[in-house]
Amino acid sequence: MEAGPEMAKAEPVAEADPKAYVARVMAEIEEEVRLRRSSGDLPPRLERELDELFLAHSPVAGRGGDLTEALRMVDAATFVDPVVPVDSERAAGAVVKKGMRTLLLWYVGWITHQVSQFASAVSRTLHIVEGRLKELERKVEVQRVPSANVVEVQALHRADAWWVQAAVDAVARVRGRILHAASGDGWLVQRITAAGGDAYGVDPRSDLVEQGVGTVSDLRGEDLAEHLRAVAPAGLGALVLSGVVDGMASGERTQLLHLIATTLAPGGVLVVHSLSRSSWDAEDAPYEADLAPGRPLRPETWRQLLAHSGYDAAVTSGPGGLDYLVTAVRATVPPPEPTPAR
Amino acid sequence: MSAAGPQGPPVAVHQFVPTLNPHDATGTHTLLLRDILRGAGWRSEIFAEAIHDDLAAEAYKHWMYPDHAAEGDVHIYQFSTSSAMAGFLADRAEPLIVDFHNFTAPELFAGWEPQTEARAARAHGELTLLAKRAELGLADSHFNERDLRRAGYRRTTVIPVLVDYARVAAGAAPDRRVAAELAAVKEGGGADILFVGRIVPSKGQHELVKALWAYRRLYDPSARLHLVGGTSSFAYLKALRGFVHDLGLADAVRITGEVSDAALRAHFAAADVYLSLSAHEGFGVPLIEAMAAGVPVVARSLGAVAETVGDSALLLAADDPSYVAAAVRRACADASLRQRLIEAGRRRVPMLSVDAVAPRVVAAVATVAGSPR
Repeated sequence: MEAGPEMAKAEPVAEADPKAYVARVMAEIEEEVRLRRSSGDLPPRLERELDELFLAHSPVAGRGGDLTEALRMVDAATFVDPVVPVDSERAAGAVVKKGMRTLLLWYVGWITHQVSQFASAVSRTLHIVEGRLKELERKVEVQRVPSANVVEVQALHRADAWWVQAAVDAVARVRGRILHAASGDGWLVQRITAAGGDAYGVDPRSDLVEQGVGTVSDLRGEDLAEHLRAVAPAGLGALVLSGVVDGMASGERTQLLHLIATTLAPGGVLVVHSLSRSSWDAEDAPYEADLAPGRPLRPETWRQLLAHSGYDAAVTSGPGGLDYLVTAVRATVPPPEPTPAR
Repeated sequence: MSAAGPQGPPVAVHQFVPTLNPHDATGTHTLLLRDILRGAGWRSEIFAEAIHDDLAAEAYKHWMYPDHAAEGDVHIYQFSTSSAMAGFLADRAEPLIVDFHNFTAPELFAGWEPQTEARAARAHGELTLLAKRAELGLADSHFNERDLRRAGYRRTTVIPVLVDYARVAAGAAPDRRVAAELAAVKEGGGADILFVGRIVPSKGQHELVKALWAYRRLYDPSARLHLVGGTSSFAYLKALRGFVHDLGLADAVRITGEVSDAALRAHFAAADVYLSLSAHEGFGVPLIEAMAAGVPVVARSLGAVAETVGDSALLLAADDPSYVAAAVRRACADASLRQRLIEAGRRRVPMLSVDAVAPRVVAAVATVAGSPR
């Protein structure tokens, strides 16, 4: 074995703390790697080439979602070789195979020629589709309406905010599960659970969910709409929405209300906490507000919107007009006709 | 909690498992748990969808369960893959414990094994389905427990998978023929690096080959890699073989397929280091088997690996070939480190032994099944 530079440091050291010992060993290994790389013993380029070499053996579909790369592989596979290999472990076997290849080449060649032509035609078509798809993507990209991010103000989205007790009182005694979105680290889920409700939370911000998973029994790192699509019809007793609807574009909000109409049980409760427009436009508003595709609705708009959708809705404004709370009870019998989406 | 009859037969805690195999972790766990449950006084049988011929006398087909059903029965479902059994259990009324061994994330099979990818996606749905019925979720690790919580399980606890580590412990007799073969190649010098596990993309055998290539180039041109385990992904095995060939490592990488316990002992006995670069481990039984066999462990710290090995292994934050090679070199050549890893590993094994785990599993099951009588 070649003695590497790290061996000079590998003298036995009687360290009492195993963690400190392992940490020191790992630091020495990292230093060893740094020295090896800087000395050119194993350039990073070679490590990348190893990755590419393995990739060359993986199936086309195993190389991720890059269409251009997949097409390159398709192109490479369009030619079907009619010259069959004749290698054999036995000498006589190779002779027999070679003879058979010579005899059958006219036939195999005719078949493979047609297969290659077919594959080339498919490949050409896929290239045309790729070109048009890219053109379409460029056009769509400039018109794309992004999904709204969670927009929270620290003073208004925490357990001691003015609206929290009202929200807890409204939902804690409903039958069925209570969903809070965006639940963050579970601060409201804990409050509702403590009040006797069967609550859980979803939030797309997985870092916050991870923080709360240890203390709150049911938090999920999911997008709200995606989650509601997976919930059984009338599967929820109540929903509390905070920080999620304020910046939604009209289409996204309408879609969300349709999903809620499907998943909220008759007689269930919908609670919406929203920032006011003045709060949204304030100098100290979160930067996510500027990037959101929509703006908060006025309280009366929420009340009307929900009333038309079969809810009995009431609005409570917060101190200083910074925010408001909409509490809506869904009718036990849905309205005869849904309100057309606006 | 199920009530046991005052003087009637003991309460039954039956296990359900999709496939009962003699050589996989779930099969071994199921058999050991059956014995522990019986030892604690419960009646206990195993019901499986598929039963390996060698274990035909150990289990019933799951569709035979209704003939054995009795009032007060409790079910334990050994969950490690998608199975029609999940639906079968979801439709029954008996109290259910889900013993979760995790399943590989679908994306790790993407492109390689479309059927396995789809099966893993189905398994996720089945785990969620059973959350509504389960009174308790048992997890091999905190890593697995997090998945249970995310799937909606309200009550969970962590209990390590049951493994008889004595089957590979240092001192037990190895397969003489395999031991002789390994000794013969070792005479030429060079380190023997070992990995035990199914040859599938998620286990990262191609990363091990990259690490071997770097290790041979930087430190030890005669080093060898032994990949022990069968495969359920022939596309990956084919790619792996092609990769090994292209790198000129055909003589240095030995892919053994499935081996007997005695042959496994021979491999552990010949190994200088156990190396794992797996992308997904819900527990990692072979890591502890390596420790039981007195082999120092170097492993990528992903999934449950860190909590399984504790401070008894060198844990790697990345799988760059040069980084892995340097760690392997250190584990092979630094006598002090080797000794500390081996000793720490030997201290770790009893903490996860059947004797240590059995009382915990009995206590957990009792919270659902009550006392046997």
